[in-house]
Amino acid sequence: MNIISRLLKKNISPARIAGFILSNFIGLAIVLGGLIFYLDARSIWESEDSFIRSDFLVINKKVTSGNTFGASSSFSPQEVKEVMDQPWVRKAAPFTASAYRVRGALNQNGRGMSTAMFFESIPDEYVDVPKAQWSWQEGSDEVPLIISKDYLTLYNFGFATAAGLPKMSEGLMSGIPLDITIYNEDNSKAIQLHGRVAGYSNRLNTILVPQNFMDWSNGQLSADAATSDPSRLIIDVNSPGDVAINEFLDSHDYEVAGDKTAASASFLLKLVVGIVLAIGAIITLLSLFILMLSVSLLMEKNREKLHSLLMLGYPLKTVGAPYNKIVIAASVGACVLALAGTLCLRSIYLEPLRGLGAETGSFLPVVVVALLLTAIIIVFNCVAVSRKVKGSWRISK
Amino acid sequence: MRIDEIKLEHTLPRVFVSEKIPASDVWQASLTLRRGQHYLIEAASGGGKSSLCAYIFGSRTDYEGKILFNNEDIASFGIDRWQVIRRSNIAYLPQELSLFPELTAWENIQLKNRLTSHATDERIEEWMDRIGISFRRDYPCGRMSIGQQQRVAIIRSICQPFDFILLDEPVSHLDEENNRIAASIISEEAARQGAAIVSTSVGNPLILNSPIRLSL
Repeated sequence: MNIISRLLKKNISPARIAGFILSNFIGLAIVLGGLIFYLDARSIWESEDSFIRSDFLVINKKVTSGNTFGASSSFSPQEVKEVMDQPWVRKAAPFTASAYRVRGALNQNGRGMSTAMFFESIPDEYVDVPKAQWSWQEGSDEVPLIISKDYLTLYNFGFATAAGLPKMSEGLMSGIPLDITIYNEDNSKAIQLHGRVAGYSNRLNTILVPQNFMDWSNGQLSADAATSDPSRLIIDVNSPGDVAINEFLDSHDYEVAGDKTAASASFLLKLVVGIVLAIGAIITLLSLFILMLSVSLLMEKNREKLHSLLMLGYPLKTVGAPYNKIVIAASVGACVLALAGTLCLRSIYLEPLRGLGAETGSFLPVVVVALLLTAIIIVFNCVAVSRKVKGSWRISK
Repeated sequence: MRIDEIKLEHTLPRVFVSEKIPASDVWQASLTLRRGQHYLIEAASGGGKSSLCAYIFGSRTDYEGKILFNNEDIASFGIDRWQVIRRSNIAYLPQELSLFPELTAWENIQLKNRLTSHATDERIEEWMDRIGISFRRDYPCGRMSIGQQQRVAIIRSICQPFDFILLDEPVSHLDEENNRIAASIISEEAARQGAAIVSTSVGNPLILNSPIRLSL
């Protein structure tokens, strides 16, 4: 060790530096642990539904014995207008239902299934699929579809198991031709089509087709399509968590389609992770001040020496260097420990979490955050060191 | 950059401003110190000798009037510029010596010499030999007598290039013999560099060759 370091590191308190490393380690580990857990766990609740944005709500009337026998389960024009007039509604559109019959058939090496189906459509602006994948032109017999993920689940775990058919992944399913026949009420007119699955949605319990196909097919096969009231509305809301939304829906006996528990679980996860991150950030911040205080105290004890070295003509940087080295070594040490701790934590929960169906996230953001926080601590402290060195340049009398 | 002259224009320590001070060659006068000359500044204790050195060395600024290096006001110098000046233009031996007590004589001297790479080890050893401090080479300065420390500090102060060397009561604890040796070592080094010697004293002046005497 050179003479300067030997001089300036005198009075160093290993206990204080260890105190910083420990507190910085704890703070960083909480921040990083919370972050990686959030990244890993969120896929359980937030399976990315890329077709419908999360601030779109689909509402329908609650099905009660009342509307089974008489009372309408569809929205009258007045009711639609009332929804659209709510302050939390940015825009809204009704679902258009098919006014004809649909039969879909899957064929796989001679074995297959066929089922009665239905179509619905919403204006294309509500569907978040690239235009090229979500378009239909008159004359084309290939229709893109977005189907509910639940249907695939029903097929895989219900039908396929019972019928001895192979289970299918989303990708595989999309590749299998779906033969569709649409025909009118009295079976006097039928149109043959091919379905192509463009995506699966968790939030739409329906089979969606492009709006222009719906308009065209309704026109072809039904005369009174335009007059039927919609049974579902899609609403673009300002903030999905707004209490006013629930109050309105409850008072009108409307309900939101899709997985609401996932939304609240995801909200709780975010809240808890937010609290954990805040606690970790506060501890990290406090550790920054612990380091600043200990280095400051050390430099104060060595102030005479700092002054003497500056009187000899040593550059400020050289005089500050031993303290910067302490700061960097301690911060980087704590950072490495925290990253190692985070990896340990992750190895404990990763297997059970995968069992719950989580697609684990990347570790990179955690490393980036760790480096960023460490860089902030280092910069703050090095600035403090440099100020302290400058402060001891002149001993005021 | 070389500093050829140091000018003091009506300089006065602020603490003296409200006091009536006796006539002085330095305070509130117009004085020019030139390279190559020897100056001996004599005063009673409390006359402001150390203050004068600290002003010229940039470590204190509590004065009225101006101090100019080559006609440039030193009040405008920043820290980095001062550090360069301290390494290459002005050497300073403060009265309190500012040696590091935990370091040996050799380490204290090397602390300066490694920074400036001015003198060879042989040269330093020769100086230490002449001034009679070689036997304390690897002895911590904190355990030496003041006279021995003064000798270490004298050698440390010349381990750099300089245009002016400020010596604040450099030989106050040395006998006449060592005073002469110190004076000759400093004078030789100053002459070699064409530099000025500015030495203060309260009664035991550095024995310089026909110095210009100034009273504070």
